[in-house]
Amino acid sequence: MNTNYFFESLNFLRPEVVITVFLAVVLSFDLAFPKLKKVLPYLTALGIIISSGYAVQDFLSMQQPQPISSASKLPLLAFDALAVFFKIIILASSLFLVIFSEKSSEIKSTVERLGEYYSLILGMILGMLILVAATDFLLIYLAIELMSLSSYVLAGFLKTSTKSTEASLKYVIYGSVASGIMLFGISLAYGMTQTTNLFVAANSLTMNPGNPILLVFVSLMILSGIGYKISSVPFHFWTPDVYEGAPIPITAYLSVASKAAGFAVLIRFVKTVYPPVDGLMMISAYNINWKQILIYLSIMTMTLGNLSALWQDNLKRMLAYSSIAHAGVVLAAMATMNDEGITAILIYFVIYLLMNFGAFFIVMLIRNEINSEHIDDYNGLGYKMPFYGVMLSIFLVSLTGLPPTAGFIGKLYVFLALVNSKMIFLALIALLNSVISLYYYIRVMKHLYLMGSNDQAETLKVSFSNILVALILAIPVILFGIYFGPVADFAKNSAVMLGVR
Amino acid sequence: MRNLIYLSVVFPLIGFLVNGLLGRKFKSEKVVGIIGSGAVGAAFLVVLAAFVETLRMPEEGRALIVTLFQWVKAGNLDVSIAYQIDQLSLVMGLVVTGVGFLIHIYSIGYMHGDKGFWRFFTYLNLFIFAMMNLVLADNFLLMFLGWEGVGLCSYLLIGFWYDRKFEKSTTSDAAKKAFVVNRIGDFGFLIGMFLIYLNFGSLNFTTVFAKAGVGNIPESTFTLIALCLFIGAAGKSAQIPLFVWLPDAMAGPTPVSALIHAATMVTAGVYLVARCSIIYASAPMALTVVAVIGLATAFFAATVGLVQTDIKKVLAYSTVSQLGYMFLAMGMGAFSAGIFHVVTHAFFKALLFLGAGSVIHGMHDEQDIRKYGNLKKYMPKTAKTFLIAAIAISGIPPFAGFFSKDEILWEAFSVGGFGFWIFGVITALFTAFYMFRLYFLTFEGKERFDSHHVHPHESPAVMTIPLMILAFLSIVGGFLGMPAIFVGEEGNLFGRWLAPIFKSAETKIFTGAEHSHLMEILLMAISVAGAALAIYFAKFVYLHKPEIAEKVSAKLKPIYTTLLNKYYVDEIYDAVVVNPIRLVSESFLWKITDVKLIDGLLNKSAALVDYLSGYIRKIQTGAVQFYAIIMMTGILAALFWIIKSL
Repeated sequence: MNTNYFFESLNFLRPEVVITVFLAVVLSFDLAFPKLKKVLPYLTALGIIISSGYAVQDFLSMQQPQPISSASKLPLLAFDALAVFFKIIILASSLFLVIFSEKSSEIKSTVERLGEYYSLILGMILGMLILVAATDFLLIYLAIELMSLSSYVLAGFLKTSTKSTEASLKYVIYGSVASGIMLFGISLAYGMTQTTNLFVAANSLTMNPGNPILLVFVSLMILSGIGYKISSVPFHFWTPDVYEGAPIPITAYLSVASKAAGFAVLIRFVKTVYPPVDGLMMISAYNINWKQILIYLSIMTMTLGNLSALWQDNLKRMLAYSSIAHAGVVLAAMATMNDEGITAILIYFVIYLLMNFGAFFIVMLIRNEINSEHIDDYNGLGYKMPFYGVMLSIFLVSLTGLPPTAGFIGKLYVFLALVNSKMIFLALIALLNSVISLYYYIRVMKHLYLMGSNDQAETLKVSFSNILVALILAIPVILFGIYFGPVADFAKNSAVMLGVR
Repeated sequence: MRNLIYLSVVFPLIGFLVNGLLGRKFKSEKVVGIIGSGAVGAAFLVVLAAFVETLRMPEEGRALIVTLFQWVKAGNLDVSIAYQIDQLSLVMGLVVTGVGFLIHIYSIGYMHGDKGFWRFFTYLNLFIFAMMNLVLADNFLLMFLGWEGVGLCSYLLIGFWYDRKFEKSTTSDAAKKAFVVNRIGDFGFLIGMFLIYLNFGSLNFTTVFAKAGVGNIPESTFTLIALCLFIGAAGKSAQIPLFVWLPDAMAGPTPVSALIHAATMVTAGVYLVARCSIIYASAPMALTVVAVIGLATAFFAATVGLVQTDIKKVLAYSTVSQLGYMFLAMGMGAFSAGIFHVVTHAFFKALLFLGAGSVIHGMHDEQDIRKYGNLKKYMPKTAKTFLIAAIAISGIPPFAGFFSKDEILWEAFSVGGFGFWIFGVITALFTAFYMFRLYFLTFEGKERFDSHHVHPHESPAVMTIPLMILAFLSIVGGFLGMPAIFVGEEGNLFGRWLAPIFKSAETKIFTGAEHSHLMEILLMAISVAGAALAIYFAKFVYLHKPEIAEKVSAKLKPIYTTLLNKYYVDEIYDAVVVNPIRLVSESFLWKITDVKLIDGLLNKSAALVDYLSGYIRKIQTGAVQFYAIIMMTGILAALFWIIKSL
């Protein structure tokens, strides 16, 4: 048996290999030295850094997209700029996750279980790294399950908190339903095409589209599995409950990394299996109007997210709905179905990572101080904790999408893509949604600065490391608002996919 | 060093950030002052090095664009943060950083003990940053950024002493007035910029001016663009009808008046016209407008300056008047003469303001020249340098002002004709008269202050040394631009240096008019003699026979009060523009449009959103079975809809 493909492909899988190795190392280290829990985060961080080093190297040396094949010579994974881009995003957010976990009083209270915590995180990272590159239905499913199972446990990691437990249980149930539907869809797809490979499936569907109703049904079922990952309406219901119950670092992570992974697979699935219709290839099966579907999903997702966020009094819950709304904006860019839209998505994710993590970070630090995320408890905090107040304001302004912050640039590129694709109506809806979102983001600032007493008697001393982390997130948020050329270039170079023109 | 020109922008920015973020924490004023001045000094050295390097290069290769990064890329619009080195931008850069540096040093002494010391240097550095962006930009958008930035700094610095009274109101009101009037000008600039983009498809100077030189664009378009840009220039450079903010801008600390409202920012409008010389050259009508407005402003402001009693007010109107000269030069197509006057004016007007600051400093914030007198005795250095500046601005050879002003007057005669010339000369006589009225009333004659309470003293060296340097420049600065009849075409170093910039514009408007050398010398002699006479007259009136002044003002009471009240321009604006706008805003725009229409619409739609959101969030019941049902329903609904549309 020829096993060359195995060793050859390892070269493309260095980030994944590193994470796997560190997963084993963290697990065994925890067992061997139960007293040295403090080392675990550093070990995890080291793994993530090495892995991202390889990912960045991959990105820089990226030439042509490469298939990573199995024994059957069918591409299982894609080694292309898009995948590596999302790997970098995921690894960067993982690094922030580790830093946040170190700072979070919630996680610190579970110090005896840190070993589990970090191995689960590494497992989740591995799942996502595979997911963003997977070009095979089975591998997609396995990767989704790997990341989901880890995240179910992570969401309920605070065993003593009923909310956390409830969140975890709901997540499991909802997740199983969604992935069940998806698996059903995948098995039907296999029935139609006799393959689990995306490229072969695309080919086979071109030759013989089969029953159009069945194809629509299958596509929708698979979409529901992905839709649940990116929490698009109507697959979003788990989001607010889970985000509210989970420890804040995990919430932040779910809102960025797992969404990024979901969007990566959505882009790949839609672009690979349903190549754009030429006049010649006009076959009824390809009548699936992804554009329409995505437009409706996008409108529903952002409108519902924003309208629900309006009256949330819990900051975490508000940010959960806001993250749904942001997914809607990304879906809008997705609906253009062209490279410009995908570039806009990638830009959006770079920026979204920074600002969303930033907002969650400050909410977490404030929780560490006052043990609450309720908006009424934020009254006057802008004066008691001036640094947190200013930082949170920066991130929220950026999330709204106001200049001169990076959030504006993110939205700008999405709107540009929409306008250039003549989707003015969707752009208008997105614009109106931004206006609505302004209300609930600014409301936080109102509580921070205009309500409650503003006696400056005692201002909170902020530790240097917290300032550093906040600034690492805040400075690019401002900087990219003015100097966004590199981000745009980074994204433009990344919109290259295996097997897609 | 030419490739590092952006450092001259970066250093002031660093100074701004350091002083702005940490200034409050620095215990010592010295640290703040050294950081602030050092940043500008470093910027000056960068520009100087680039200048020296450029000087050594052959004329053709002198222009260079240093691109930092792409700033905005959307559709056809492609704007970079890029700085342009050429003869014009280097001259402006040298003036801004050089004079700016001296004024920063001076401010260490002047602002000593002020509670906002660090804030002052923060704003000053921000100003230099913005101003350098303005003069070095290689495109209109970046220039506009600097343009707005200097406007902001001007606002911040006029209202620097926000808790002090100024005339009938507060310094904040003066700051607001400056800002609002400047907005009108900025609006013109913006429209002009849009028109340029519309017609040339770019905002980069190189592209726009190259296309403008080719000339398949109708003259009317050029005229429109030129006039719009001139509205912007008139706002920033305080020309009729937008000059009203500059006299009020004297509410700011005196170094600010020297730096922003005399030497640098107010010349931005002149720079804009010079930069766009090819556009103006293609629009003769606009050039005439520029010349007439410039001359009118010069004359008008000089008459007002004759009777003002506040030392800074006199200088303010004098600045307006001198800016008018610069625009007159622009309007005559004598771009390099105008820029030459910008440079010499920066020297002597900064000197005058700093001298006035020194006097105000020594007189404990007294600004009324009627309460000065014989200060020469107490502050000899200030008096001497002030005298030098007064001679320079009056146009007495061989001081700097003579050469630049004379060049403008000669151009006015040879291009514009006798009418332009005679008003220019009269303005020059008025200038000489009021400047020496100021000098004699302040530094000579009898002491008119209460010597029991007021003890005038000379300012510290940190303030007088910049005065001396500027005095030196005011004496010798003019030799850079000697008239051709004395030294030949090659001898006018300044004109020769700038010639490549204005070449295409000047060939376009070349009239071919020739006048004899004799005529030039004759006119020169007339204006010098006139100025000397005016100075003697001022001496006679204010030193020997003060009663003449009173008699004359009593006899010509209507004219005198009109001048004293600055032709009632502020009152007229209030009556014609400000109050009607206020009335309409209050009774219609606010009470009806805003409250009823906009608020009403907004509140109704907000109520709708509120209602919807109250309904929608109820979907989130918390029961996970229900979620699953909705998910299934969603899939089925989508399926149904797609199948229907198949």
